[in-house]
Amino acid sequence: MTPKNTLKAVITATSLGLVATSAMAESINIGFTGPLSGGAALYGENTLSGLRMAAEEINAAGGFDLNGEQVTINLVALDDRYSPAQAATNAKRLKQDNGVSAIFVPHSGGVFALQDFNEKDDFLVMAYTSVPTVTEKGNTLTLRIPPTFDGYVRAFTDYAMNNLGTTLGMAGATHEYAKIWDEMIQQTWEARGGTVVADNPMDYNKSADFYTGVSRVIAENPDVMFVGGASEPTGLVIQQARQLGFQGGFIVMDQAKIDEVAQVAGGMDMVEGAVGVVPLSVYETEAATGFIERYQANYGKVPGSEAAYNYLALHALVEAMDMTESTDPTTVRAAIGEALLSMDSSKNPYEVHSVTENGGFVTVTTLAVVENGEIVRKEIE
Amino acid sequence: MNLFFQQIINGLTLGSIYGLVALGLTLVYGILHIPNFAHGALYMVGAFMSYFLMMDLGVHYWVAMAGSAAIVAILAVLCERLVFHPLRNSPPIHDKIAAIGILLFLEALVQMFWGADFRRLSSPFTGILNFDGLIIPEQRLLIIVGAFVLVAALQLFLRKTMIGATIIAMAQSRDGAFLVGIDANRVAMMTFAISGVLAAIAATLYAPINLVYPAMGHLVIMKAFVIIILGGMGSIPGAIAGGMIIGFAEAFGGFYISTAYKDIIAFGLLVVILSVRPQGLFAKGAH
Repeated sequence: MTPKNTLKAVITATSLGLVATSAMAESINIGFTGPLSGGAALYGENTLSGLRMAAEEINAAGGFDLNGEQVTINLVALDDRYSPAQAATNAKRLKQDNGVSAIFVPHSGGVFALQDFNEKDDFLVMAYTSVPTVTEKGNTLTLRIPPTFDGYVRAFTDYAMNNLGTTLGMAGATHEYAKIWDEMIQQTWEARGGTVVADNPMDYNKSADFYTGVSRVIAENPDVMFVGGASEPTGLVIQQARQLGFQGGFIVMDQAKIDEVAQVAGGMDMVEGAVGVVPLSVYETEAATGFIERYQANYGKVPGSEAAYNYLALHALVEAMDMTESTDPTTVRAAIGEALLSMDSSKNPYEVHSVTENGGFVTVTTLAVVENGEIVRKEIE
Repeated sequence: MNLFFQQIINGLTLGSIYGLVALGLTLVYGILHIPNFAHGALYMVGAFMSYFLMMDLGVHYWVAMAGSAAIVAILAVLCERLVFHPLRNSPPIHDKIAAIGILLFLEALVQMFWGADFRRLSSPFTGILNFDGLIIPEQRLLIIVGAFVLVAALQLFLRKTMIGATIIAMAQSRDGAFLVGIDANRVAMMTFAISGVLAAIAATLYAPINLVYPAMGHLVIMKAFVIIILGGMGSIPGAIAGGMIIGFAEAFGGFYISTAYKDIIAFGLLVVILSVRPQGLFAKGAH
């Protein structure tokens, strides 16, 4: 998962302290550690943008009432370059220097690193990762923001087997998250009676080109290709597969969003027959469209799910603090389910209304398929 | 059989890009003995300049390439004047630290202006040639042809012009070059300018089939360092041969063995070659 790079190893990781200034006397700090430079910088910036937007909205409304005092939110963001070790260092620093009671982390490696000591150091881990074990381990101070991906694996496999064909070529990726996906999808595919004809994941951190890897997968004539990783390189893989004459469909890992993938690949036609998670832009609820409009006004681009999920999570967190008149992690954690229900619906683009016992936000998941050049949302059976 | 030829094309494409980037790196090393870690950042800036010229100013692909080459050449000369030249009498470690500093500075600067977004550079060559199942997108063909033309032009420049001859003289013997009255400052600036031009052109050739983002230089600069060690530090034919070796190792190793092992094959080759010829394939110095 960590982009290993000797150059980077030589360079002492430069931590960038971005402190949102606040004119008010009273403010509480909320921590963030994620990739803000290097190859995954865009992903980190996107998650942070959702948090910033939520914090700005709260502060623009004058903050919230905590034990009779108006307090504002101060977001303290540190760069970890996607490294779990750096994330742990950042978390220690956020706790000691800034006294944060919650830290947002957008990658599973960082989440696992923080879970080693978050209960002892007393802070809440706001995990933006869909790896199921994050909440299965029973850490009492962890909240998982997006849905776990095991539901997607089954749903995507069923759809692909019924509609696209029974042979699968694996062209996923080599980072940790993709490997877990890779393994699960292979198992599910074979358990349903399909065959995996090629397994050749792409190394997005070391490969300058995917032509060779893609042509190896296509040489085995699969009906379906499994692809995934960040949206943009995934788009390149799909584009190159089509150039090399691949006609079948794609299973797109949930990290990539079909609309973003299509932009890079060269249009919706290129991703015909793809199945993946529903991009935020396809949601038609009032809360979702309202969020998209406000985000576009702020940042001048269409938001992805990472911005939307983190946005709603910070709003929910602050709502829980407001309700309990406390910033104590255990108290806030206990109240988060109630906060999700009572928070303003315009702040909740995914309409998350409850949280599981081990801290997973409950989202109604649907899947998206590309049919005749359009993204169509389907129910998961 | 087609699959085999397909890998030859892949190897040539990769080798061409690696070779062009390694050429600039090896030229600077051969003459100034500076391992320019910032070269990957120059490559990245080259791609962003072409992107800026094409998307924001609306100029044609070729004009953007020329403009980007000019801007990056100036940037490279500035690096030499403002950073490496004042450090010429310092221990070598200072140059290395300074080079890393430039790398970080340029990356942060580009991210500040353009953000971390992945961008796509479009080129007018989007067609795909199909020779009875052998698929060659036009842009990939352009990369291969462009690299060969550029290498030939560089050879002519170094062999047939007086300025080129001064660069070679400096590479062969610094003291000898000074004795015959060659201006070291001019040669240094010229070398950095050429390395900048090569990096910008390589980036502009390659960007349309890849993504443009602030960290894009890391991928190629790592390979370029391997290549110049493989080919012999400072050797021009070494950079080209080394680029092709790594390119072909990745293409064939990735296809016939596994993409997971392609780096092992490339680096394994490095170990084997260095144990037979520790000075690299081609001895130091331009020939």
